[in-house]
Amino acid sequence: MVTNKLRVILRYIVLFCLLIIMTFPLLWMFRVALMHSGAPVGFCDIFTGVITFANFVDLFRNANIGRYLFNSILVVVIVTAANAVFCFMVAYVLARYRMLAGKLLFISVIVVLMIPAHILIVPLYVLTIKVGIYDTYWALLLPWLVNPIGIFLVKQYLESIPPDMEEAARIDGAGELVILFRIVMPLCKPALAVLAIQVFFTNWNLFLFPFILTSSESLRTLPVALAHYQGQQAIDWQHLMAGSAVAIIPVLIAFIFLQKQIVSGITAGAIKQ
Amino acid sequence: MKRSRLIAALLLLPWIVTFLAFWLFPLLFSLIAGFTDYSLISRTGAEWIGLDNYRQLFSDNDFLESIKNTFIFVFGTVPVTTVLALLMALFVNKRFPGRGLFRSGFFLPSITSMVVIALIFTNLYQRGGYIATLAAMAGFTPPEYGFLYSSSTALYSIMAMDIWMSVGYYMLIFLAGLESIPSELYEVARIQGASSTRQFFSITLPLLRPVALFIIVINSIKSFQIFVEIFVMTKGKFDTASMVYFIYDTGVTTAFRFGYASAAAFVLFFIVATFSAFQFFLFRRRKPLW
Repeated sequence: MVTNKLRVILRYIVLFCLLIIMTFPLLWMFRVALMHSGAPVGFCDIFTGVITFANFVDLFRNANIGRYLFNSILVVVIVTAANAVFCFMVAYVLARYRMLAGKLLFISVIVVLMIPAHILIVPLYVLTIKVGIYDTYWALLLPWLVNPIGIFLVKQYLESIPPDMEEAARIDGAGELVILFRIVMPLCKPALAVLAIQVFFTNWNLFLFPFILTSSESLRTLPVALAHYQGQQAIDWQHLMAGSAVAIIPVLIAFIFLQKQIVSGITAGAIKQ
Repeated sequence: MKRSRLIAALLLLPWIVTFLAFWLFPLLFSLIAGFTDYSLISRTGAEWIGLDNYRQLFSDNDFLESIKNTFIFVFGTVPVTTVLALLMALFVNKRFPGRGLFRSGFFLPSITSMVVIALIFTNLYQRGGYIATLAAMAGFTPPEYGFLYSSSTALYSIMAMDIWMSVGYYMLIFLAGLESIPSELYEVARIQGASSTRQFFSITLPLLRPVALFIIVINSIKSFQIFVEIFVMTKGKFDTASMVYFIYDTGVTTAFRFGYASAAAFVLFFIVATFSAFQFFLFRRRKPLW
């Protein structure tokens, strides 16, 4: 009995130590973000001193972070919405139509899944310049409007739904597009939610391609802007961490409210395969 | 029938365009560019130079260095992350008060932006920063200018950060795998008097094999492409440049040598493809690896 209790206590001690290790860097970030600009950030400094929101005010007033936040939100909203619609459209054809082209297309989905995206840095850079979309919003949006993992996910879900409803609607004379968007799409909500969550997180944190495919200051998303801030001599850790907090807070809020969906959404692709 | 085919084609259009424009074309483009001297400076156009880029790459010390760093990174982080993730999953698998809090806390770093994490750790690793101070307390003297400013510690510091960041994500996948093991198996084992250690090695571990292999595959493919943390933390200095960093550096930053960088990209592609193929082979094996 005594050893059992001891084990429970020991378990919690280990768990709490782990929790501190896993969350400390983020807590540290928020603490530093709320310090006076230029204050030392040594070992003990984070436990003392005042709390001020001056860095955030400063970033929005003088460092244009509102613009970067707007860019991030704009891109992620458009990309997520587009993925929900386009992945669904493709998945519907792959799941419901039996045709040779479908098989070929399915192969294309697999091919893309196997290409490590980062090897495409150079060709995408050259392509966007030649086509004339380098350094425009199009460069941030166009390559990511539909993704193979999403297609896979929705296709698998669709195959688990019997086509009875669609056929009934078809006999009643409903048009193909009405069936698709009014009847089948609402049925796919759970899969589309998972898809939206995955796309949201991936794109919110995307750095390399937005960084390479744009050069204007006004087109920076938050991760790109943060990397540029870092290169400036004038910026101190307090401002840098305040900027980081701005990039994390939307994700944190989403995580707190949608925890269950996020966890199942992020692991969904994993267990199915 | 004809009409529905037309609609099907229409529905597929976004994917066909995306596939052709942003995947197939770039892939073929860089395959071909790899055999030319195409660059920003060559106004006369690209010239076919056969395997010269590849020959030059394998005598380019920067490139060989980047391969070495990438392999150290992959083979150093992936096994450690997998084992730690499994241990953490086992630790928070059974029901107990506060389980949700711990799970979320462990998972939190993996939904954070890599740029942000890298910025935070740049400070924690620097002289007088948290990790450097803690290391000094533990009797390990950090390099004079901090962990990221020494060739002997920079890459390993980035690796440690990466493990810290991604372990919670793979823990969640292990947890999903653990949940899918039927509880009857454990009941039978208990009735037959198997110890919990025995249960772990005879039931849990063998049944988690596909999940573990899946984790190793996706984590390796991701890790071979390491870039952001190196770009933010060291800019490839102090023996940390990875293959993607090399591609970025020669391709779209200093030299704009599109052909040369494309050839380097294909070496990376080849390595990742070989690696995935090897692992798919392991997946298909009937006999368990352990």
